[in-house]
This record gives sequence, structure tokens and C-alpha cells, in this order.
Amino acid sequence: MIETFVFKSALADFMRLRRVLVWLLVAVALFGVAKAFVSVTDQSTQEAYVMMSSVFVFRLLALTAAIFSTAVISQEVEQKTIVYLLTRPIARWKLLLARTLAAIVAVAVISCLGAIMVSFAVFGRWHDLLNRDLVALLMGSAAYCSLFVLVSLIINRAMIVCLIFAFGWETAIPNMPGDLNWISVSSYLTSIAKRPATTGEKNLLDILGGMLGTNTIAPSTGWTVLTLLTLFCLALGAWWFTHFEYVPREDAE
Amino acid sequence: MIQLQNVSRWYGQVIGLNDVTCEIGPGVTALLGMNGAGKSTLMRMVTGQIQQTTGRITVYGQEPFANPEVYRRIGYCPEIDNFYEHRTGRQFVEFLARLAGFDAKKAKERTQFVLEHVGMADRADKKIAGYSKGMRQRIKLAQAMLHDPDIILLDEPLNGLDPVGRREFIDLLAELAAVGKTILVSSHILFEVEQMTRSILLLHRGRLLASGDLTVIRQFIDKYPHRVRIDTPQPREVAQRLVGLPYVVNVQFDPRGNGIELQTREPDQFYDQIPRLVLEDGLEIDGFSSPDNNLESIFRYLVDA
Repeated sequence: MIETFVFKSALADFMRLRRVLVWLLVAVALFGVAKAFVSVTDQSTQEAYVMMSSVFVFRLLALTAAIFSTAVISQEVEQKTIVYLLTRPIARWKLLLARTLAAIVAVAVISCLGAIMVSFAVFGRWHDLLNRDLVALLMGSAAYCSLFVLVSLIINRAMIVCLIFAFGWETAIPNMPGDLNWISVSSYLTSIAKRPATTGEKNLLDILGGMLGTNTIAPSTGWTVLTLLTLFCLALGAWWFTHFEYVPREDAE
Repeated sequence: MIQLQNVSRWYGQVIGLNDVTCEIGPGVTALLGMNGAGKSTLMRMVTGQIQQTTGRITVYGQEPFANPEVYRRIGYCPEIDNFYEHRTGRQFVEFLARLAGFDAKKAKERTQFVLEHVGMADRADKKIAGYSKGMRQRIKLAQAMLHDPDIILLDEPLNGLDPVGRREFIDLLAELAAVGKTILVSSHILFEVEQMTRSILLLHRGRLLASGDLTVIRQFIDKYPHRVRIDTPQPREVAQRLVGLPYVVNVQFDPRGNGIELQTREPDQFYDQIPRLVLEDGLEIDGFSSPDNNLESIFRYLVDA
């Protein structure tokens, strides 16, 4: 099966040591940061975990999704190696889906590793909140990657747009009043993770964690919306990639 | 069999290929044209990377764009010099063999076979990042041949190859053509093309200017006076000897005094005379060349015709 090989080879490429080393270091750094935060905060360990997870782990998820998603096709176009992939006997949509799935797995592994580090730093063990976060991270990997891959197929310089979305939009929108959080992936992930609401005075970390707004989204709604978003983005991406040209721009005569 | 019918391709307001109609069958066909003539555009359309704006392209009866069935029968060596640099040549070719549908064992075997064929078997385990231009070119050739395709498209394949490599490559093309493969080679160097094939497609500014046997085009061109430059320390004596020949139209002296440039209507007969200048008349000739023996001149003749 060529598709299986494409998935495996893309995953091996995404997870090769030189590429993941920096993410392993980030995960170790998260452990240190969470440990330090617990030692200085007067919040409960549960609230401290939620804070660390919202501010760092779910941002790490969005960041890695932006980076790995653009590696699926956009980077191949920029490096001009796309020609080797597109002139092989494999349907374009299969190529895209296999590589996207590899990106989803890579992003899930890295972000889950970050969550595990934070859990062990805060609780010293595998906590129930971690289980719920891992589930949300898996869904988030699929949702962010499929969205970002679609963006990278449609526009140039997708990385910038994806990063602005990941850090600007996804930070700002959940903090907005009313029902604006319905247009943020992060809010649905929060509902899937069934995060307990934090108490006390809000500070900068609450803003960075998108915890100022009121999240009234039910977990079932979160699952439904993100599943539909993922499927829609994958389907549209597959159609787009099959019908449009992907050649290195400067080579066009 | 590759067929193009009234194919045009626009890049915004710039035309890349203009109403091209042709058929390319078994054997070696050279796609000849200067930079920007539309060679790579045509190659990319035949390999299904880009679509024509108007017209129709078929490869064995099928539209090539994003068509895996066509890719099973096509091997493509692109002009670009980009690779997965962290991989070795062997890993790169083997990776593409797997993408071509071979299982792991068969992919290894095919990889070894094509690497031997292009003379890279002994150097294929080094990282591509450390390869010379010639080695990279050979790896590109290897990946184009690895699934034994019926059609092989080679975009400027001789770039970076040393003379021995060029000879080996041209011999390899002849071998492939002899077993019935359809080979399309693009080049902007006439001399290169003449060593590979007599069958050409001549592109100029996106238009198919001429197609067919290079000899016929040459004969057509030979109706016009050819310029020939002769390097000699005895320009006056050489000119005196040649100016009387009926097919020499005019002679001009190089102001530096080290040669002459003349025009002749019968280049073949004229070239036969040159050994006589040396052997019979004892004149000293350092070298001779034809400024017209290049693509630009051919285009000029054809456009003016």
C-alpha cells in the first residue's frame, strides 16, 4: 500500500531526531516552568495545572500544528521537492491525507508529552485532568492540523497566518464576552477537556490562557463541531489539492 | 505516445506556450529552445504538474494532470536541483521507488539496478548534501528510470555532467530508445542535441517553430549564407586562397589581424576545403568555428523565413 508507506515515511521524517529535539527540550522546559509555578503560586494544584495547561500545553499544540501542517505540502513546494511527490502513481488526495495524518500524529505526540510533563510537575503523578486533556489534545491535533493544512494549500506564506491564528485569534477570542468563543477552536477544546472554572482574581496568565470569557459550550458540542471542522477541512483540502497546481512559483516560465 | 492539440498555457498575462500541436512517439525527441522558450512548461504539462489553459494533452490517451495512471508510465527528471538533502542518494531513490509502488525488497533491488546504471552505486550511501552537481544529476536520472517507464522526460539532463558522464548518458539514451521507449529531452544547446537525436521540436517564445528531422532543418538553414570564422596568423594568404571559391560570398578581416570571417552558401563543400589549405597550400590554421552554429542563428533564420 503506497498510502501506508507515505504515512510512515512522513511520520518518520516529522519525528526524526533533529526535528523533534527542540520539542523534547520544550517539553523538559515545560516541566521546569510548571514546577517553578507551583512553588510560587497560592492556587490549588488543580488550578495551577489548568493554568499551565491552558497557557503552555494548548499553545504548544497550536504552535506545533502550525509548523508540522505547513511541512505537509507547503514546505515541499518551497523546497521544490514537491515535483518528486506529484509525479508518482498515487492519487493526490491520498498523498495529502496520508501526510496530514502523519502530521496529526506527530503533533499529538509532542503536545501530549508536554501535558504529561506538566501533570508530573504539578501533581507528581498521572492525574485525571491529564486524561481529559490528552483526549482534547488528540482532537485538537486533528482539528488544528486539518485547518492549517487547508490554509497552507490555499494561500502562500501560510505559516505566518497559522501562527497569527494560533497565538492571536486563539488567545483573544476565548477572552471575549458573550458567545464569541464559538468561533475559536480553543474554546471547543476547553469544553472537551471539561476544565473546572478557575476562581479568584484574573491576571495576565488568565488572559494568555484565554480564561477571561465564559465558556458555555457543552462537551458534546465541542466534539461535534471539531469533528465536522476536521472532516470539512480534510475534504476541502483533498479536493483543492487534486484540482489545483503545486509547482515552485519561481520556476514558472 | 504523447499528443498535444492546440495547447496554450498562460501565466497571468504572460504566455508560456502558444497553440502547440505535435505528437511525440518512440525514440529520442529533443525539445530545443532558448531559456524561456516554454520547454519546462511543456514538460510540466506532459507530466501532469500543471494544466493547459486551452487545447488538449494526452499521454497514451489519458489526460495527464494529477493522473496516477499516467505517472505509472512516465519517468521525469526535473531541471530543479532540489532534493531531500539529509538523505543519501540511495535512500532518496529507494523512497521514490516505494512511492512508485514497489515493495521494500523490490525497491531495494530496483534502486541498486538504476544506481549501477547511472554509475552511482559506489557513491550512493553518502548524503546528497555532499554531492557534486554531476552526482546530483545522476541521482535525478536514476529516479526517473527506476520504475522502467514507457516515457522518460528529461529536463536539461546534461547540465553539470562531465564529458565522460555526457557520453555515458547519451549512450544510455540510445539504449533506452532502442528498446522502444519514448524519450523527450529538453536542451538549449544544439551541439548536445545533435549527439542524441535527429528528431527535434523547436520552441521559440512559446511557439513551436519547427519539428521533424534536424537534418532537414539544417538543410533549410543551409540555403542561407553561413558565417565561418577562421583563426590564422596568415589572414591575408588564407583570404586570397578562399575568396576565389564560387560559394564564398564575402570575406572580412579581423581588425586584430589573427583571423578572418567569411560567408559561404555551401558550408559542407567549404569545410572540405579547409584541410587542403593546410595540407596542399601549407597555410597555418589555428582553428575554425561557425558563429551560426547555434540556436540563436537557427531561430533567426526560421523567424526571418
